[in-house]
Amino acid sequence: MATGDISVRLRNLAKSYWRGTLEIPVLTGIDLDIPRGGYYALMGPSGSGKTTLLNLIAGIDRPSGGELEVCGHALNRLDDDELAIWRSRKVGFIFQNYNLVPVLNAYENVELPLLLADLGRAERRRRVLRALELVNLTDRMHNYPRQLSGGQEQRVAIARAIVHDPELIVADEPTGALDARNAEEALILLEHLNQELGKTIVLVTHDPKAAQHARFQIHLEKGVLDRTVEVHDRPELPRILPGPEGA
Amino acid sequence: MKFLTLILRSLFRSKRRTILTVLSLAVSVFLIALLQSLLGTMDSLTTSTASGMRFVVQDKASFTNVIPQSYANYLRQQPEIEQFTAFQWFGGEYKDPKNFFANFAVDPETYLQVYREEANLPSIPPSQVRDFIRDGNACCVGKTLADKYGWKLGDVVPLRSSIFNITLRLNIRIIFKGQRNSDEMFLAFNIKQLQEAVPWMKGRVGAFTVRAKNPSDIPRLCDRIDRHFANSAQETLSITENAFNLNMIKMLGDFSTMVHSISGAVLVAILIVTANTMAMAIRERTTQISTMRAIGFSSGQILSLLMAEGLLLSLMGSGLGIALAMCAASLAANVAGQLLPWMADFIITGETLLLCVLLTLGLGLLSTFIPAYRASRRPITEGLRAL
Ligand SMILES: Nc1ncnc2c1ncn2[C@@H]1O[C@H](COP(=O)(O)OP(=O)(O)OP(=O)(O)O)[C@@H](O)[C@H]1O
Ligand SMILES: [Mg+2]
Repeated sequence: MATGDISVRLRNLAKSYWRGTLEIPVLTGIDLDIPRGGYYALMGPSGSGKTTLLNLIAGIDRPSGGELEVCGHALNRLDDDELAIWRSRKVGFIFQNYNLVPVLNAYENVELPLLLADLGRAERRRRVLRALELVNLTDRMHNYPRQLSGGQEQRVAIARAIVHDPELIVADEPTGALDARNAEEALILLEHLNQELGKTIVLVTHDPKAAQHARFQIHLEKGVLDRTVEVHDRPELPRILPGPEGA
Repeated sequence: MKFLTLILRSLFRSKRRTILTVLSLAVSVFLIALLQSLLGTMDSLTTSTASGMRFVVQDKASFTNVIPQSYANYLRQQPEIEQFTAFQWFGGEYKDPKNFFANFAVDPETYLQVYREEANLPSIPPSQVRDFIRDGNACCVGKTLADKYGWKLGDVVPLRSSIFNITLRLNIRIIFKGQRNSDEMFLAFNIKQLQEAVPWMKGRVGAFTVRAKNPSDIPRLCDRIDRHFANSAQETLSITENAFNLNMIKMLGDFSTMVHSISGAVLVAILIVTANTMAMAIRERTTQISTMRAIGFSSGQILSLLMAEGLLLSLMGSGLGIALAMCAASLAANVAGQLLPWMADFIITGETLLLCVLLTLGLGLLSTFIPAYRASRRPITEGLRAL
């Protein structure tokens, strides 16, 4: 596969923590290629290193060894400020606890990543409204996070993750705090982002049902990639988004 | 600026805490501004050039005692003396004990010479000066004082003094416009009236104000005069006018040291209060800060946002404090200025304002920097885990 078609390329990636002089390896020898537009679910028991791996891919943590190239950039060669700029352009984050800014309303939360780009107010507004429309929350845009339900908060967070049109979306247990119905809704939303907007998605989850939405499941076991499984019997995608395609 | 909403909202995230902090900052700035201004006002008294030319010859035991008028004969012989005038504190009240202002019995002719700067002598019409000197019942008053009671030239002012237990009826012959408000809260009349009305004042005066030709002669003059009267019935004490003015102030102890140490203590208190508020406000936003950094905010941007918050907080505090101090100062000048003449000059100078603003800005920056810097450098993953 040509480099341009690869979103995430990991070679012999390792991460250790140090407790005094004692090295605690968390990830070892990770080799992984995720193509552009891929949808991968990262699974494994608690403590197997899922979050650690996701954080490395998303550029908010540094590996102890190995190479990683994400969205065309060798992240090891970027300094902290360059990495921040890279994240602001290439990565959308979705967290288990939504992590919305409590003093900003839904609209302003979604606008936050755009403040880092060189965009005029009108252009920002256009993009924020489009993202809010995508998650079907236009009518709630003046609400503050505490005035939204968990499901709505997570949809705002999803809008915030895509508003700057990143190539990669990372989600760490995005349904962990949601009930079954809202979880399902959020997962379907992610699937649409993947299928219709072509976003590369890496989803960390415990939940096998959630992982069924991805196209591949990667299993981590004690910091080592155990196996990658293609998902065949994916549930049919109901139309909830005004997608680019017809019926 | 597109981040202003975020900064303001974050600042008022905990309204009560922010308001309490702003109020405590305001009170501190208020205190410092007032104390420093008070000090500055007193300082300007001591550095006034005209008063630097003068000294007072008074009774050695107490400045409330009277001394023989004949001491003037010796003063007249001193070549370094340009002019001198006798005076006596009258302590008179106008109609009501509440209507209190400085009033003195003086030797009219020499008084206007010795205090020519304060009375702005060249601007007084010569005919008024003549009337003031000739009319035994004449008095001169400052414009501020005259305006306060609606007095006009030629009006008769009854003044009752409980010290001398008499009431004098004085004709206003001069209304002068001084350089400072404090110079105008003032009434002076002919000492002869007092000496005629009060038997024990005959041939006596409260003190002499002496104007030297050259300020550098003053120490030598003081020394010579006091030595001359050392063996007479009443010994004298000659002190510079500033020292005389400050006599009462000095009774409070070393005021300036006190002001500076209070200001210092207040500053330390502000620093602790602001540092605590900002540290708390930043610590409880650990996850939010890490989230913003994950989204792409750089450490520098986070630091700037937090610093802007701290600065804004201290600016609000100092703004409010200064506004309060200005109100208090004009109130003090109006109310206390009637009791203590020098208080009529009480204003908060630009320098004091600048000092207060700079101090609070410095404190705001200092108190915010440490927690803000740490928060902005903290590993993102650590902050995201800290829920
Ligand atoms: N800062 C740290 N210092 C030391 N060890 C750490 C640190 N962060 C994570 N670890 C360890 O790394 C291992 C992997 O952690 P990680 O959070 O990636 O697991 P996970 O697979 O996401 O688990 P879970 O499903 O519970 O979220 C764990 O054993 C954890 O204790
Ligand atoms: Mg995890």
